[in-house]
Amino acid sequence: MLRIYSIHPRFLSVAKPPANGYNGPYTLIAGQEKKVFQTVNVDQLAEVLRRNQDFMENVVRWEELPAQEARYAPFPEELDIRLKDILKTRGIHSLYTHQAHAVQEILRGKDVVVVTPTASGKTMCYNLPILSSILRNPDSRALYLFPTKALSADQVHELYDLIQMTGEDIKTFTYDGDTPGSARKAVRQAGHIVVTNPDMLHSGILPHHTKWVKLFENLKYIVIDEIHTYRGVFGSNLANVLRRLIRLCDFYGSKPQFILCSATIANPKELAETLTGRDITLIDDNGAPMGKRHFVFYNPPVVNQQLGIRKSSMGEVRHISGMLLKNGIQAITFAKSRLVVEVLTRYLKDMVRDPLGNAGRVRGYRGGYLPTTRHEIERGLREGRVDAVISTNALELGIDIGALDACVLCGYPGTIASSWQQAGRAGRRKASSIVFFVASSAALDQYIVSHPDYFLQKSPENALLNPDNIYILLSHFKCAAYELPFEDGDSFGNAPSPDQLLEYLEDVHILRHVDGRYHWMADDFPASNISLRSASAEENFAIIDITDSAHHRVIGEMDRFTVPMLLHENAIYMHEGEQYQVEKLDFDACKAFIRRVDVGYYTDADLNISLSLLDIEEQVDEPPLLSRALGEIKVTALVTMFKKIRFDTHENLGFGHVRLPETDMHTVAMWWKLPEDLCSRFSSDTLKNGMLGVANLLRIVCPLYLMCAATDVVVVYQVKSPITDAPTIIIYDNYPGGVGLSQKAYAMQKLLLEKCLSIVEGCHCAQGCPSCVGPVGEIGVDGKDTAIKLLRDMIRRC
Amino acid sequence: MNLAEKLRMITSKPKPAPEAAPSFTDCWQRTRVRPLDEFPELSSLNSKNLMLMQHEDLPSPFLPGKVLFLDTETTGLSGGAGTVAFEIGAGVLTKDGFAVTQYVMRDYPEERYMLEKVLERLDECDVICTFNGKSFDIPLLRTRFILNRLPTDVLDKPHLDLLHMARRLYKLRLKQCRLSRLEEEVLGIPRVGDLPGSEAPARFHQYLLTHDFALLDDVLFHNEQDVASMLALLSHMCADYESPERIGHQEDIFSMAGALDREKHVRQSRRCYRLVPSGRLHAVSQMRLADSHRKSGEKEKARDIYLDMIIRHEGGAEPYIALAKYYEHTEHDLEKALEFTRKGLLTLAEPTLLDPPSVQETRNQLQYRYDRLQGRLTRKGQ
Repeated sequence: MLRIYSIHPRFLSVAKPPANGYNGPYTLIAGQEKKVFQTVNVDQLAEVLRRNQDFMENVVRWEELPAQEARYAPFPEELDIRLKDILKTRGIHSLYTHQAHAVQEILRGKDVVVVTPTASGKTMCYNLPILSSILRNPDSRALYLFPTKALSADQVHELYDLIQMTGEDIKTFTYDGDTPGSARKAVRQAGHIVVTNPDMLHSGILPHHTKWVKLFENLKYIVIDEIHTYRGVFGSNLANVLRRLIRLCDFYGSKPQFILCSATIANPKELAETLTGRDITLIDDNGAPMGKRHFVFYNPPVVNQQLGIRKSSMGEVRHISGMLLKNGIQAITFAKSRLVVEVLTRYLKDMVRDPLGNAGRVRGYRGGYLPTTRHEIERGLREGRVDAVISTNALELGIDIGALDACVLCGYPGTIASSWQQAGRAGRRKASSIVFFVASSAALDQYIVSHPDYFLQKSPENALLNPDNIYILLSHFKCAAYELPFEDGDSFGNAPSPDQLLEYLEDVHILRHVDGRYHWMADDFPASNISLRSASAEENFAIIDITDSAHHRVIGEMDRFTVPMLLHENAIYMHEGEQYQVEKLDFDACKAFIRRVDVGYYTDADLNISLSLLDIEEQVDEPPLLSRALGEIKVTALVTMFKKIRFDTHENLGFGHVRLPETDMHTVAMWWKLPEDLCSRFSSDTLKNGMLGVANLLRIVCPLYLMCAATDVVVVYQVKSPITDAPTIIIYDNYPGGVGLSQKAYAMQKLLLEKCLSIVEGCHCAQGCPSCVGPVGEIGVDGKDTAIKLLRDMIRRC
Repeated sequence: MNLAEKLRMITSKPKPAPEAAPSFTDCWQRTRVRPLDEFPELSSLNSKNLMLMQHEDLPSPFLPGKVLFLDTETTGLSGGAGTVAFEIGAGVLTKDGFAVTQYVMRDYPEERYMLEKVLERLDECDVICTFNGKSFDIPLLRTRFILNRLPTDVLDKPHLDLLHMARRLYKLRLKQCRLSRLEEEVLGIPRVGDLPGSEAPARFHQYLLTHDFALLDDVLFHNEQDVASMLALLSHMCADYESPERIGHQEDIFSMAGALDREKHVRQSRRCYRLVPSGRLHAVSQMRLADSHRKSGEKEKARDIYLDMIIRHEGGAEPYIALAKYYEHTEHDLEKALEFTRKGLLTLAEPTLLDPPSVQETRNQLQYRYDRLQGRLTRKGQ
């Protein structure tokens, strides 16, 4: 008979916490606790859950994704015989089909993109051909790019192991902000494989290329992993960094090949080709085996039938993750905010504390933990010492934590691609795995959970970017001119009309055109003016624990934008499930001083975002034409108060005030002021729902036509806008200073509105869904209809 | 400075020839020779003295006339591939004087000619001498050579970087070692009416837009002065190493002693330690001197220095501790060791809460030593 332990009152039966301090897997038969030493496997758990009425009442859909058999192929002939022998001595006699295919294409000189799910032996796809090539010609060099420092550290580790097996002196170095000055020279001279990130390549390597002569002269491979992260502005920046890199390779006479890797997205080949400007061979015949996967859509039960209020998703996740933990099923739980991660970590830790209060089997994981802490957690997961980890999307990227048995998604991550990435963390090669999607009460979550087919059948999102965005292109063009003078007729990758850019830069005295060449003549360092990512490179805050007055210690760090939310004075800051109270926040010195406390509540701050007009650059205000404008605005984020929330019951215990400077961002926006005679046709509620519907449509349409990531632009609507004093829909660039997206939206306004209309008119939903105006729960029953009316009228007036 | 002086200074500046429009077939260049009597300490510039002040291998025979003194003026200070040297000053000693040749690219196409000429000069020399060239001028020239596809191996010749050498001697006294400050404080020649090096890029950009060569006068003057100062400074430091007796500042002698000590020039370093006059640095010099003797096995000499220090009431508890160690480990005279430990403790006043941690540390160590020695003596007595 199967014995499953549950602590969820509704799942199996009521259980008391173990009295004897033993925290291992328990069994529960007729209310009696008994220690067991066998853990339950996923199929057994699934079996029991399926027979459990209370649990299944909330399960909307239970999908089983069938197991996939491994498909193998022999070592490609092109692979160096020494490497084959080494692999054979390690018991590896063949490769998965996608690996063999990739190795073959790469060694034949093709540029490739490899698309495979997590844990399918992706790194072998590039490490094998590159090592093979270095073994044959020890002068060969390769450059590896990973989106984050954490990832590079992780991958270098794996590479070391493989190199060690060859017994050859192949040098691999990481070159990033953490590389000590004394080691940098050796990296530049001797590294066969240099591992870095786009930011370092952009500001640390390319502008100083003469120090890297050996690398550039012999560069044979450029590996770019996780290319699905390079979308929108970040991707457009990277594409231009690559144009600069290739231009320098031309100068030094090398012709490197590209090897790209991507998680599952809709358009990997297109993304790879836009990033590199080359024809790319797609390799996606994944041959790695995968066990059966259960995908459970879970909607928390309704607690108030009249108001339709459901139980909190956090509470339900607490029970589900707790059940997995108690049954010894290694699981990862993804939550959408750092705060929820910390609260859940605490709940789960409380479940398994030993008599001394330690609960190392349960760990939180998020940005802001120190790198050593993070590595320790990753290692713990791989080695099976950590049974439960609760993480933000920080663990969504390919950091190696091994394969886990189960994954719990606390709320919909926002995109289909991300959901699959996170769910992919659970999945053994042979055994079954299980994923729970627990919907929150947000309209989008409710839509997904009530339309599982929408999620299961829709392809993941496209990753879009625009390397020719004029702002981004110009910035990198300057860097390129700094790195190497342009000559008349030179091109810059496949960028359009470089000669016009050159002329412009000559006019503003940044370049000097003489004797057929354009020379850099400004006294500055252009790479320092560009940050590749949206998050500004400003200094992080250090979080200092002063509980022991003799030993202050830094326990983490936090970016400037999040500090007002989580580290204001008197906030309860949670770190790895422990509580601290913020005693002092020194905004100028970028330090927060915190002290250990143990209180029964946590705090949650309210963030107010307001927009104000700085300057109008261009506008059309001639009725009956639709009024639109383009200008500079200030986006102000201000935290004014926080709530104290009791653990377990989540009741509100009171408020506190926050006195902190506001955070400003100056950026560029475009907006439509809705005509009065149009608005007066609707009640104010109806109008609001309709505007929200239009804004939601624009959020879908803008990334497609502005070719950016969803987070690069912000669409807001204001029924009475401080900018126009009337109902207004606003689109702004989510980057300080703007990156030209609003300008583009301003120029193609009619097209954007028409696309919105065609999407909503072509959508088969009755009253709204996330693919058009948004779920009905968010926009109300009249939202879809009103949005259509608004759009038709706006287009007529364009 | 009054107006008349200012005017005199301005008019005394050399005027360049007016034929300075870019030709694109060659760069601009000018050589001016400074008489040798401007460099009174030249006679000390020899390999023996140079080997005392730095560790770079020098060619043998070492010929002062084969040292190339280099200084560049650049279009920016960022040190990346887009920064260009628009002017290079190269000085070399000849029998007629110190000849400083300055090469200027009047526009970017002339860079190549300028670099080729400098490359020739580098080819001819045995040793390169710069001020901060290890981290600035030489990497910059390397970048320019690479971008112009010229060979870079000439830049790998032995290199005397005066900044590093000067820091070893003068940092303790001067805190920062900019060339102009060294001229004033070490050579005793304050520079007047000089264009700050940081303004050179702006001057060049202005020049490019106007082709008014007069804009570069100040830059050329400044650069020539820099190159000449390098020779003066190098020979001055050589002379100091040759006869440290003439050094007027105790900090400088002390620094020199330390530098020689680190480079294992034992005899010369002891000579300098002995020269440190009584004052702030005397006690620590004596301790270092004794250390030096102790390390080479001359323990009695070290002991005598410690005893001498005690007579002069110098060095606080330090000489007592050293003597306690000496008597315990070398003479195996536990009573004497105990006696010096006790006296050492007496030099430290009664403990107070205000004692800095270092004093508390010393006291604890002495106390521990005292207790240990007493224990050994008691056991021996039994």
